[in-house]
Amino acid sequence: MRFNSYNMKSVLKYFLGFTLLIISCTNDNSIDKDEEKPSITVNYEQGFPQGCAQLSRGETYSFKAKVTDNKELASYSLNIHHNFDHHTHDDQVTECDLEEIKQAINPLLIIENYAIEGELTSYEINIPITIPNDIDTGDYHCAYSVTDATGWQSRTSIDIKIIE
Amino acid sequence: MFYKILSVWLFISLYSISYAQNSFQVKGVVVSANTLDPIVGANIIGENLWSISSTNGEFMINNTNKESCSFKVCCLGYACKMVTVRADENKDFIKIYLKQTSTNLDEVQVLAKSKERIQKENPMVSQIVSKEFLEGNRENSLMQTLSKIPGVSTITIGSGQSKPVIRGLGFNRVAVVQNGIKHEAQQWGNDHGLEIDQYGIEHIQIIKGPASLLYGSDAIAGVVNIQPNKIPLQNSFSGEVNLLGESNNDLLGVSAGITSRKDKWFYRGRITYRDYGDYKVPTDKIKYENYIFNLHNNNLRNTAGKEADASIGIGYVSNHIKSETVFSNVNAKNGFFANAHGLEVRTSTIDYDGSSRDIDLPFHKVNHFKITNNTTIEKENHTFYVDVGYQNNQREEHSEPVPHGYMPKPSTTKERLFDKSTYSLNVRDAFEFNNQHHMVLGANLEHQDNHIGGWGFLIPAYHRFTAGVFGYDQFEMNSNLHLLAGFRYDYVWLNTNAYYDWFPSTVANNNGSTSEVYLQRAQNKNLNFKSLSASLGVSYLQNNTTYKINIGRSFRMPLSNELTSNGVNYHMYRYEKGNLNLDAEISYQLDVAIDHTTKYFSVGVSPFVNIFQNYIYLNPTSNYFETLQIYEFTQSKVFRIGGEFKASTSIFKFLQLDASVEYVYSRQTSGAKEGFTLPFAPPLSALFSANYQFKNVFFFKNPQIIASYRITAAQEEIVPPEEKTEGFQVLNMSFLSKVDVFQNNNPIDIRIKLNNIFNTKYFNHTSFYRLIDVPEAGRNLSLSLTMPF
Repeated sequence: MRFNSYNMKSVLKYFLGFTLLIISCTNDNSIDKDEEKPSITVNYEQGFPQGCAQLSRGETYSFKAKVTDNKELASYSLNIHHNFDHHTHDDQVTECDLEEIKQAINPLLIIENYAIEGELTSYEINIPITIPNDIDTGDYHCAYSVTDATGWQSRTSIDIKIIE
Repeated sequence: MFYKILSVWLFISLYSISYAQNSFQVKGVVVSANTLDPIVGANIIGENLWSISSTNGEFMINNTNKESCSFKVCCLGYACKMVTVRADENKDFIKIYLKQTSTNLDEVQVLAKSKERIQKENPMVSQIVSKEFLEGNRENSLMQTLSKIPGVSTITIGSGQSKPVIRGLGFNRVAVVQNGIKHEAQQWGNDHGLEIDQYGIEHIQIIKGPASLLYGSDAIAGVVNIQPNKIPLQNSFSGEVNLLGESNNDLLGVSAGITSRKDKWFYRGRITYRDYGDYKVPTDKIKYENYIFNLHNNNLRNTAGKEADASIGIGYVSNHIKSETVFSNVNAKNGFFANAHGLEVRTSTIDYDGSSRDIDLPFHKVNHFKITNNTTIEKENHTFYVDVGYQNNQREEHSEPVPHGYMPKPSTTKERLFDKSTYSLNVRDAFEFNNQHHMVLGANLEHQDNHIGGWGFLIPAYHRFTAGVFGYDQFEMNSNLHLLAGFRYDYVWLNTNAYYDWFPSTVANNNGSTSEVYLQRAQNKNLNFKSLSASLGVSYLQNNTTYKINIGRSFRMPLSNELTSNGVNYHMYRYEKGNLNLDAEISYQLDVAIDHTTKYFSVGVSPFVNIFQNYIYLNPTSNYFETLQIYEFTQSKVFRIGGEFKASTSIFKFLQLDASVEYVYSRQTSGAKEGFTLPFAPPLSALFSANYQFKNVFFFKNPQIIASYRITAAQEEIVPPEEKTEGFQVLNMSFLSKVDVFQNNNPIDIRIKLNNIFNTKYFNHTSFYRLIDVPEAGRNLSLSLTMPF
């Protein structure tokens, strides 16, 4: 090979120096980064609603889910909206029988956010909701979400039915 | 066809019937391979023989005393051709076809310095991509093709679209320039791809580093500069047809272009059409969170698309003036994966699996129309450059209407419409001073008009006017040492329009009651920004080694959505909150590039260190707005370091080995995500390729086999809401050759390519579909033919 070995060496030297610089910068463990999402589940005995649950109008239910985080929980939300157009499905194991597609007239809509006070790593969401008597019956979606202090989010959604 | 093959075979056979002859005469005619017209005055030069073709192109060589004679036929404007005639040949009249060559006038002007030399002398760290590279490496979209260049990567949206990323930064931090005019579309969008026809491009310059000095805002991380094509030679006509077929997404593509010039006027035109089906991934189910999407025939349903592009250029060239106007239109329609739109899981009654070629909801369509004019006027030792551009980008995003939050079910599928017009004017004067100073003074003006429509809202309508002036001096201290120093000043007027929801939302009042309110999502604002850019660099050439060092300050103006929007992005489950207090982003970068090239070996390293004073970052907070996580535009300090290393050797004539490594380390050093990296951080990646050149076989000329092996490390560095991505290894093979069946014709370029040979299931950290756990495309066999005429 006919390349100049002196130049080659200097190039390699630069490259080595550059690599060392990167390695030395990569090993900064000064900041303890939170890389874990919080978790959320209704899959425990008191968890509510369970997949395909049927809720009656006029009744009051406690919506319960367990949330945990490695560091600090921050906020959670509950969203109940109709699925009369079958636009989506839940992430639970069971698959529910859906009614025919229909137009919404006066569907139930719950959009609520809450903060989790104190630096908690586990918490049970507990939201009492009375299903109004004048809302449309049919297929609904119940979606929970939770964030931690870092800004990671987890969600879960459950297919439910509101009946007479 | 059969007769032609037979005649070729006979011709070859006749060669082999040989008998000696002491002296013979060669008669023939020289004609143009392109037009078949006779060529007058072609020089025919050989050992002890000389002739010139007559007015009808004919020539004669007498008394050749050998068994065979060789001679070279040359004529200005044509490529020279070596011809060997054997005495035993039974032909009394030979035909010689000369191919026209088109050479850029630029190249004529810079005879003293080659493009490579100019590139080396410029302290800015950049790389030239040739037409040959583009043709040999062509992928489904321009940026996928360019991602083989170390330091360049891409954010892909399905199989047919991609956006540029340079050293880990993309979106509005990379400027794409075509014919001197900045390409302006909805670059900030996650699912936006670059609207540029990748056929018919001859030269791309990639600047890996801050280049605001020359290009203003947005060139903060780098520039993909698609340069104007070469001006064809006088009285020339050439053209080509490219055909492409791919197995993975059943793509069929055709592109045809012509170029012609009489005396002073020249024109060119190109049309491209591509149509592809859903692409296949090497899995039959996608597991995203707790959801499982079963895929029919491994098709990523509804990712089909089509694209139709056309362009026409008309130009004039004389001694002191050169001007070309190009009209182009790119029209594309692409489907999005049907099971999840963004992060939102969707079910539908649409029969997506009925056909893999139809484009159902959700989809987007885009039309990008562009007129550019590039004019160069030379006067004494000044060269004036004027680039004028008008472009209109019309983009529509359609999805099945569903109620979201307080929004009732919309009546149409038109979720978002963007209509953006951009007017640009760039002028600059380049002149020599003292023979040592190459100075450039220039100004850029740009006006943008962005209109919005549809039932979704992410970015407000706005008008923006930008004015910038710059000047730089490239000082030749001696022939090997060049210094470049420049300054630039920009001023931006931004006027955003207010936007109110078209539906009322329920808002809680202080007294416990609720009101129905049409929420305001964006405000009427007049904002001004100004920024200073600067660059200082040195280039030193020492024998075979080039050293470059460059330090630059670049900027980026905040976008209207970053400033004023309060948009709900249902598909990403987030509420994007603008921040009126954002400053123009400022970045300082130090670039070093060392390149050592000898005949058999080349090695290069290009490290950089970069500090952002106030990187604009969409920060996921821990708060909610109407059950959607609030993402807030904030600014944080960012430190980045990284670079590329490449080496190549061609110790043996027939074998070339290349290796390259790229790496970027980024850290937010202040703000809410201190200690975290930046979104879409490309992982450490290496590309090894071997190019083996065979001997000519039958009518295959210069056949070569290329194997390229990409090894990418895992990406453990993430920032919410990203997922860590495992490393992967992918092997691609390709076979390239020229096919010259009929020697009178231009050879056909043929390329057979097999991507992802082992059908490896892997994830690309910077893919749009990565967030929903969609792997990259599976095995793909593609066949491409380029037929010049």
